[in-house]
Parts: sequence; C-alpha cells; structure tokens
Amino acid sequence: MTAEHLERGRRGEEIAAAYLAGLGWTILDRNVVFRGGELDLVALSGGELVVVEVRTRSEGWMQRGEESVGPRKLGRLVRAGRRYVETRGWTGPWRIDILAVTLHPGRDASVERFEDVTAGAYLT
Amino acid sequence: MNPVWGITLKGMEALRVEVEAEITGGLFAISIVGLPDTAVRESKERVRAALRSLGLSVRGRVAVNLAPADLPKEGAILDLPIALGIAGAMGSIPEVPRAIFLGELALDGRLRGVRGAVGAAILARDTGIPLFVPADNADEVSLVEGCEAWGAESLGDVIAFLRGEKKLIPVVPAVPEAKPPIADPDFADIRGQSGAKRALEIAAAGHHNILFTGAPGSGKTLLARALRGILPPLSRDEFLEAALVRSTLGIPFDRGMHPPFRTVHHTASIVSICGGGATLRPGEVSLAHRGVLFLDEFPEFRRDLLEALRQPLEDGRITVSRASGSVVYPCRVLLVAACNPCPCGWDGDPVERCTCSATERERYRRKISGPILDRIDLHLAVPRLLPEELVAVESEGGEPSAAIAARVRKAREIQRERWAGTGFTCNAELPERLVKRSLSLSPDVRPFLASMAERLRLSGRGISRVLKVSRTIADLAGSRDVEVPHVAEALAYRDGGEKR
Repeated sequence: MTAEHLERGRRGEEIAAAYLAGLGWTILDRNVVFRGGELDLVALSGGELVVVEVRTRSEGWMQRGEESVGPRKLGRLVRAGRRYVETRGWTGPWRIDILAVTLHPGRDASVERFEDVTAGAYLT
Repeated sequence: MNPVWGITLKGMEALRVEVEAEITGGLFAISIVGLPDTAVRESKERVRAALRSLGLSVRGRVAVNLAPADLPKEGAILDLPIALGIAGAMGSIPEVPRAIFLGELALDGRLRGVRGAVGAAILARDTGIPLFVPADNADEVSLVEGCEAWGAESLGDVIAFLRGEKKLIPVVPAVPEAKPPIADPDFADIRGQSGAKRALEIAAAGHHNILFTGAPGSGKTLLARALRGILPPLSRDEFLEAALVRSTLGIPFDRGMHPPFRTVHHTASIVSICGGGATLRPGEVSLAHRGVLFLDEFPEFRRDLLEALRQPLEDGRITVSRASGSVVYPCRVLLVAACNPCPCGWDGDPVERCTCSATERERYRRKISGPILDRIDLHLAVPRLLPEELVAVESEGGEPSAAIAARVRKAREIQRERWAGTGFTCNAELPERLVKRSLSLSPDVRPFLASMAERLRLSGRGISRVLKVSRTIADLAGSRDVEVPHVAEALAYRDGGEKR
C-alpha cells in the first residue's frame, strides 16, 4: 500500500482541478495547510469563493467518496475555510463544495460535484 | 432599501411588522431576530427553497430583523415579506413599494393561505396601505370594503409584479351570498311543543338566551337544532365580524356562511370555551359570535366555567388575559341551554316517578347559579309527549321552518332599522341604560310591569331583559308600541313554565 493511496489522492486532485477549470472557475490555491485542517482546492466561481474538498475513490469501493465526509470533517473544513478567508482578506460570500472523483481502470475518471454542503445546517 | 411590511397577530388585530434584511460575506447562514416564534424561525428553510425555485440562490450571511423588536412575531405569515426582504438585499428586485405582504411559502415558491388575512385587510383599509395576499385568502379579504388588495399564487408572481413583468389579480370587494338556512330538523317534523317553538321564534328574532328544562327524550336537543333553520341571515357587518374570528383561527372561509351554531360538550375546558392559551386564541364562545352557543346538559358543565360566562354573555365581548398580554374577542351569542329537571330526569313527569332525594335535586339545581339564570330570558319547560301521542297517526305537524324564518327575518329587519346608527342590530344587544328610553312602551305597560316586578321579585336587570323580550314579541307582531300582552308573554317565559 505505502504511498499508493497518496498517489491516488494526488491524481484525484489533478482531475478535480482540470474539471473545475473546465467549468470556468479560477483556481486560487491548492493544498493550503492550516493547523487543524487542510484545504484541497480553493477556487473562485461567479464572485463566490469556493472551498473544494476532493474525495478520490477507485471503482468498486463500498463507500462513495462524498459519503466519507462526516460532521467532524465538515467542522474542520469550516474552521480552515474561515481562517483562509480571514488571512486572504476575502469579504464576500463563500461556500464549501465536495468533489467526488471515481477512478476507473482503463478509461476516464468520473466526477460528481456537491454544492454548498453546509447550507446553514452546521452553523447558524 | 425600504423595509418590507408584514403583519403579526395580537388577538384578532393585525399589527404591522417591518422586515429588514442585510447580507454580508461569509458562509451561508440566515439568522432572524426580533422575537420570532418557532414557525417564524423555521421560515428560513422555506424562504431559501422558494427563492431557489426562482433561480435566486442566497449566498453569504443573511441577517433578518423584525421590528418592532419587543413585539413577539408568530406564524408562517411572515414568509413572504422575509423572502422579499432577502431578494431586495440581494438586489434581485427593484425597490419594494409601500404595501403589506402576507403569505406562507411552499418549498416550490407557491403561496399558501394564512390565518389572520381578514385582520390584515382591516389594517390595510384603516391605514390606506395596499395589501398582497395569497390567492387562497382573496375571498375573505374581499369582504373588507375599501381595502386595496391583490391576490398572488406564488412568490414568483409577486416578484414578477414588482419587476413590472406581470399583472396580479386585484381583489374585488364582494357581498357574501347567504344560502337559505338548512332546516334539519324542520319545525313541521316536530310534534307538539308549540310553546317551545314559539319561544325559539322569539329567541331567533331578538337573539335572546333560552333554557329548556325537560325529561330525557322530551326533544330538547331536537328543538335546539331546529333553531338553525329559522335564524335570520347575517348582515354584511355581522358576517365580517364572524369571518374575522374564524380567520384568526385559520378556519377555512365559507362565502355562504350561516350564523354559527356551536355545540359544546360538557367536558370542555374553560380555555376551549372562553379562549386563551399561550397565543391567546379565541374560544367557542367567540366562534359562536352572531350565532348560537348550544350547551346541552347545562348543569353538567363545570361550575367555574358557567360563572366565567356571566360577564361575556352580558357584554357581548370577552377579555382574555394572560401573562403574555390581554386581548378582547367578540362573543355576542344566543345561548341555548338544556337541562333535566333533576339528576334522574323524571321530576314532574306525569307517568314516571322521580327517584332522586330532595338533597340530590337541590344540589343539581344549585349547580346553575342565580346570576346565570338571571341572564337567560326565556325559561321553558319541555313536556314529554306520552307514547300514545307520539305514535298517533295524523301528525299535527304545524308550521314549516321556512314560514317561521320569514317572520323572524321580518322582525329582525324592523330591529335593524330601529337601531340603525347606534351600532346595535338586535333587541338583546341593547345596553341597559337605553332600554327604558328607546323601546316606545305604551302608557299602561309601566304600572303593569311595576306590579308584576314586585310580585315576581325581578331584579333591575330582570326588568330590562323582560322589556327587551317584550320588544321582540311586539316586533314579531308588527306592533309599533310594546303593549301589555307582549309584556305578559315575556313575563311568562321569565317565570319559567316550571317554577325553579
């Protein structure tokens, strides 16, 4: 196993970045590390800043990528996201999206995007 | 950005609420301040979904302020103004005009009918501000004359209207369409009981309270139900008053509404009858406003409940006071009460024997206090028909309800004409101070009444109530003055067919 899963994660992020660029988003940052949390991708979409959490899975996993983000991970994303907008001086609205990348052997990966996953549910 | 106006209810009265919204950057969240109740707080989910259904996605931190800050806001009625406030803060709609908006939102943006629309229409009329209501409420709003109102099917309709892309349907003032009353049972189907039928005719004509006393199976309940078929139709103002109470409770509007007839079981609580609860809702006595409140098995009701009805029966309105505030509801009711003569029911029966002890009878009678009895104008013993009479083939039948209803209606019209401009519509409503001055008594009535009052030991209230009933009897007879025979008949009901 060793670094195989890390390698898969990096490939997933590449695919994700390409996918978002294809949507016309501007990628601002990749792999921003704060103490207590990491942001995979930060992009700009229609005047809104989007923190993107990328989840990569090989075909055939029982648990889907988007299902692996639980409340604890979400809390961490929110805290890291807040720190990011503060340090960069962003004053507009922002949100958190999840990008589930599924790798298929021998053909292109499939990507599914879940928008605004907190939607006020974890914070009011 | 102008604030958007909505309303919240305090009793039946609609109070204007200003809705302001501000959007700042950040992760999406909506917070609502200004004493919202749970229904208002939950509106953020409905509002967001409804706006999204129109392609408006709310981003960032949204703060919604409901002013005045110290007035508690209740219900989903503020969904529409909150949605417009947020849409305004997003810059998605032009400046919102001076108008009151109300409506509950469905997730797909449809507007649902709300309670309190009639109160809102009255506020809109009195302040001269236009009103936007859900299409479901347009019918009841049309009752309020002089109110400029529009009905809308959805949030999308309202927003399109504000953008000038679409027209809304103006609410046209309309007169209620009274259907002919249902006579079930018809008076013609009730055998015998001519005395009770006459008393019901008087009660319906002048809106006087009535008490039936009789053995089980003598037809008390049947008679009370038959009253429905002869009540005069509601005038436009009365209709509006009744609709206002119903709207406060969210009871669906009925354009062809008859005078209300509310039957209450004796296990009912004081709050359910008099009104109350945390939100100070009206009770059965107010729902029966301008109609009938029927209390069967009168002595079985809780004593404190009957006592609580004393003042409202006299005043025609009830003040509901709780720690959260105090509101006034109307309750001009025709009280119909029915009771047995004793616990076993057979006291005074020509055939059956009463098995109650003297103490039991005494306790039963004492459950209804003097002050309550004093407020009932027509006391009537309902004799049981003997089996031979009941199975007799040829029915003596008697007049059908429709004929009695016509007389009652005529008598009520005379009363409406007489009291026009005073704010009263029927004889029973007349306050005591006006009774002796304005009833046009014939000269020999006074000495007659004076001697009878002494003999029957009538209270001051008793005398004025007798006079009001006499006036109704005179109106039924088409007589200009109240004559001695009218007073004599009224006194007979006062005394009761049976001495209590």
